[in-house]
Amino acid sequence: MATTAPPSETISATQEFLSNLRQLPRNLKDAWFRLGRVPGSEREESQATFHNLFLHLHSVRVHRRTLSPSLTLGLGLIATFSFVVLVITGLLLMIYYKPSTALAYPSMKDIHYVVATGRFIRNLHRWAAHIMVIAVFAHMARVFFTASYKRPREFNWLVGLGLLVLTLALSFTGYLLPYDQLAYWATTIGANIANSPRELTDALGITPYFDPGGLQKRLLLGAQTVGEDSLIRFYVLHVFLLPLLLVILLSVHFWRIRKDGGLARPEDPAGGWAEWGGKMQRVFEPLATKTYGLMAVVRGRRPPVNRGPEGTVMSWPHLFWAELAVFMLTIAITLVLSFYIDAPLKELANPAVPENPAKAPWYFLGLQELVSYSAFMGGLVIPSIAVIGLALIPFLDRRPGGEGVWFGTPGERTVAWQSLLFGLASTVGMLAFTVNFGWLRNWFPEIHQLWIIAINPGSILVVLFAGWSLWVLRRRNSVRLAAVALFTCFLVGFVVLTYFATVHRGPNWQFYWWPSQWPVH
Amino acid sequence: MKDPSRLYRWMLLLTSLVSLGFLLAAAVRENLLAEWQQRQRTYRKLLAEKATDARGRELLRNFRIELRQVSVPALGAVDRCVSCHVGIDDPRMTDVPQPYRLHPGEILEHHPVDRFGCTICHQGQGAATNFHDAKAEDAYWEYPLLPPELTQATCLSCHDVTRLPRQDVALVLEGMRLYEEKSCGSCHKLHGRGGALGPALDNEGMKTKHQLVLANLKPPYTTWRWHQAHFRDPAGLVPGSQMKNPTVTESEALALTAYMLSLRQRDIPESYLAPDKIAQKFRALSPQPQPAERLYRMYCFACHGEGTYGRWEKVFLRFIPAIRGPLAVTATRRYLETQIAQGRPGTQMPPWHSQAGGLLPEEIAALAEYLRSTAAASPARATAGGTAAVGRGDAARGQVLFLRSCAGCHGVSGTGGVAPELAHPVFLQAADDAFLASTIRNGRPQTAMPAFQRPGSAGLSDAEIVDLIAFLRSLATPPPGPTAPTEEPSRSGGNP
Amino acid sequence: MPDANDVKPSRLAPPPVTRRSFLSLSALVSFLAAMGTALAGVLRLPKPTVEPGPVRRYKVGHPEQFPLGAETLFAEENFVVRRDAAGIYAIATTCTHLGCAVARTSEGFACPCHGSKFADNGRVLAGPAPRPLPWLEISRAADGQLVVYVDREVPPGTHFPV
Repeated sequence: MATTAPPSETISATQEFLSNLRQLPRNLKDAWFRLGRVPGSEREESQATFHNLFLHLHSVRVHRRTLSPSLTLGLGLIATFSFVVLVITGLLLMIYYKPSTALAYPSMKDIHYVVATGRFIRNLHRWAAHIMVIAVFAHMARVFFTASYKRPREFNWLVGLGLLVLTLALSFTGYLLPYDQLAYWATTIGANIANSPRELTDALGITPYFDPGGLQKRLLLGAQTVGEDSLIRFYVLHVFLLPLLLVILLSVHFWRIRKDGGLARPEDPAGGWAEWGGKMQRVFEPLATKTYGLMAVVRGRRPPVNRGPEGTVMSWPHLFWAELAVFMLTIAITLVLSFYIDAPLKELANPAVPENPAKAPWYFLGLQELVSYSAFMGGLVIPSIAVIGLALIPFLDRRPGGEGVWFGTPGERTVAWQSLLFGLASTVGMLAFTVNFGWLRNWFPEIHQLWIIAINPGSILVVLFAGWSLWVLRRRNSVRLAAVALFTCFLVGFVVLTYFATVHRGPNWQFYWWPSQWPVH
Repeated sequence: MKDPSRLYRWMLLLTSLVSLGFLLAAAVRENLLAEWQQRQRTYRKLLAEKATDARGRELLRNFRIELRQVSVPALGAVDRCVSCHVGIDDPRMTDVPQPYRLHPGEILEHHPVDRFGCTICHQGQGAATNFHDAKAEDAYWEYPLLPPELTQATCLSCHDVTRLPRQDVALVLEGMRLYEEKSCGSCHKLHGRGGALGPALDNEGMKTKHQLVLANLKPPYTTWRWHQAHFRDPAGLVPGSQMKNPTVTESEALALTAYMLSLRQRDIPESYLAPDKIAQKFRALSPQPQPAERLYRMYCFACHGEGTYGRWEKVFLRFIPAIRGPLAVTATRRYLETQIAQGRPGTQMPPWHSQAGGLLPEEIAALAEYLRSTAAASPARATAGGTAAVGRGDAARGQVLFLRSCAGCHGVSGTGGVAPELAHPVFLQAADDAFLASTIRNGRPQTAMPAFQRPGSAGLSDAEIVDLIAFLRSLATPPPGPTAPTEEPSRSGGNP
Repeated sequence: MPDANDVKPSRLAPPPVTRRSFLSLSALVSFLAAMGTALAGVLRLPKPTVEPGPVRRYKVGHPEQFPLGAETLFAEENFVVRRDAAGIYAIATTCTHLGCAVARTSEGFACPCHGSKFADNGRVLAGPAPRPLPWLEISRAADGQLVVYVDREVPPGTHFPV
């Protein structure tokens, strides 16, 4: 604070000390808030962004399209902010939660009944978790349908895929912690999905020598059944390991957005208008003859060095208003849901009395439906195919075009609609067929398990989807359109199966039109 | 061009206001409108009304509106019932409505709330802070609040019921009496004694509703409502149930329900048990033989009735023999004892020895003797003629006879059908030749087993009966025992 | 920075953003209010509403159970109950220095942790203890039994008259 200190030769050290003491409040304020007022010029606005640890992840200027609500729907932010809510509420819940089979359930009851705001905080945690899962799925679909995974964003697509898996794992590990009936049986089902490679190894008769399913299950549960060891494992994963990984991947994800040149968007038309220095100016038009030698570190098709504005606006305040608004939207939705609907807490976990139906967490119910045909195919092969397929998308579809625009390449919207109908028809048809007529085992009780692993409604759906996609590939002569066809089909299949298993599967995994028809057992 | 962030500022304003509103609403709901707070406010008014003397004024002054709970680590209970039932230890609170009233009786004098809590006797969800959840009839809690008339059932967790004042546990005592009178032990095991047809009942009171078939019960679903309905009509509640309808009145069903609820195996620290309960547990380690008549009533009556007439049991699809009829006279004591101890293979008659039905050897002996000595019909004992029949017969000829005359009921190879299994080692060991001969000759009165040698009419000759017995003996090979494997089937007729 | 009213709206030169507009301010204020309320709620959570374990209020029995001149030690609950001519009183046996349980000695109480010594009536005789052993509030429950509140202090010398 050299500027505020009086010249030393005229006053004594004591006076200087006293003077500093008098100015302490102001200097403290200056140290905290460097500018001390709302930024007035664009220079100050820029400094507000990059002088702040939490804001400097953003570029100083963002493109107008970035702020358009219809481009992103704010889904990535919603997922991020629900994670923030989850971290805060999760830390609060940890104050009272006790991870042991004897104490976990009573501590949940305490949180529900006597801890100040405990019930509300738990509801928030539950709802934020659901919102995060939904937002992550929807965000992935958004990125796909706006072709935002294309070069140079392939790597970030993979990071996002890792975040999806982590989100599901976090949600799943949190399911067990209340240690009630719902938790116990949902986790049992989940762990047995991990066990499903046994179905293949059993059918081949090699389980005694090679048992990856059993190993997975034992690594997950620490035992053959859910118990004390499983609880502590899930607790460690849920409150430490997985959040840590998620935060790391999330940082990489954000950093890559910046390094890949912000959100994907089409090139600005040359000669457009943009706000610059408080007034509208013509967008800089690159000269065809000129090469731009000074390359920025930031990747992009054209270096932004010495270029005019490109339809950008200042991040401060516009982007931050947007982010704040989405943050508050997330909070508001979570609050309203938590106010009206309590997080479930059933009876104490009882290994002797299974829930019927025992259902996994809702986002695994599509899988559980597939698992009900063949545990190995539905629980392992098809999810693996889906994840690997998703990972390969940006590497198989490399032709640029359509980035940052919903259904940006010609014919995409048509193919998406057709695939939606195709996926809907084939999934619903398959389910209707299976519910009405059963499957191989009902017709040939003696059939070998390998046949059922290979041919079941799940694998047939995969084949149908793949066939449809290949047909689109040949017919339309476009990799992107084939990818759209396949992605849409899988998405529709996932949604339909999840809905079907949530609503229409009752006790003993029987079909019911509505849960109110479930028999009391 | 529009201001790019205007939309977002509107959105922020709106969402912030919505959030603020819901946060405030949640705060009000939790901090001002909680049920227990309203109850305590009402109670403070009651205290003020009754604050007529110095003590009363002091109690009013000391009263604070706060969550109250009784924590009893030894019983694993944290009971917050006292948050609303604030006046349970205030003798002045006799003319006030629930939940403020004084706890009735002198029970709290011997069971201080601070030491026992509430749920050890009343059940219910002690952790809850509102009545709906505490009562827990349709909340996710396994042990809902017991209705007042059934609360006595839990006394048995720590007391020997016979040492309690009769009027306090009248319903449970009546239930115990009915349990014996209705011969429930014939099919159900309790404390290690009883039949094996139905489930053991030792922990019946701790069963949760999820362990019961609720499909045919109307809500609310509680175990006691289930028991009451079940005692009135077992098969109506559990389709396919083989349980005999105990034919009880509504109040008898309630008494039996109270008794069922009292059967609980809880880990309660010994310091909480009444001395008489500990004495009872010690007594159970060395059981005293019961009189045969009582044993018959408890363990035989449900199937055999008085035992003087056989009858067709449509649930079992077979005849139940008259064990206090002619059979008891014909059969040897050893045969009867073995049948009781080992059961009748292939029938519903279970074994009753100490490892199975839990009867002491001397009790089985006494039962056999009781059957013989009290047999209703006592025709001339047929053993005299029977001894003559014992000899060496031809099993091959016997087989032809068996297929012609016996296989229809006893099965082609004696494996049993509507009639008992004859090819069973236990039966063949227990029944000596004389008994077999006499049974074939005279039949088994009161059952479908006819007499095959009636005086003055056609039937099997003595020689044919000997052949038949030889065939039956041949069925004993290969038996599980060490006896027969070396013998040829056709020469195994003689009984050593 | 130009004010919003100074600039005429036009397609090419729209009005620049008015950062201090009423909308921004009210949005920001309501945002901060919501966050503040949420924070207040969150900060309430760590303070326990009910304490685990048995109540800190003990029914010790009827007054007749405490004969004149006798002392009853409640070791687990950490207090003694005495009766003299003036009535009944209870003294906590938790050291006022750093909370160790004090031991009964011939001249009063002694703390094993840092050597504090107290007289029979709780007065500090030696050691670092800053104040005497607290006297605890006694009252009578509705059923006539005496109740000792371990968390409520009364001035030394306060007797509960019986």
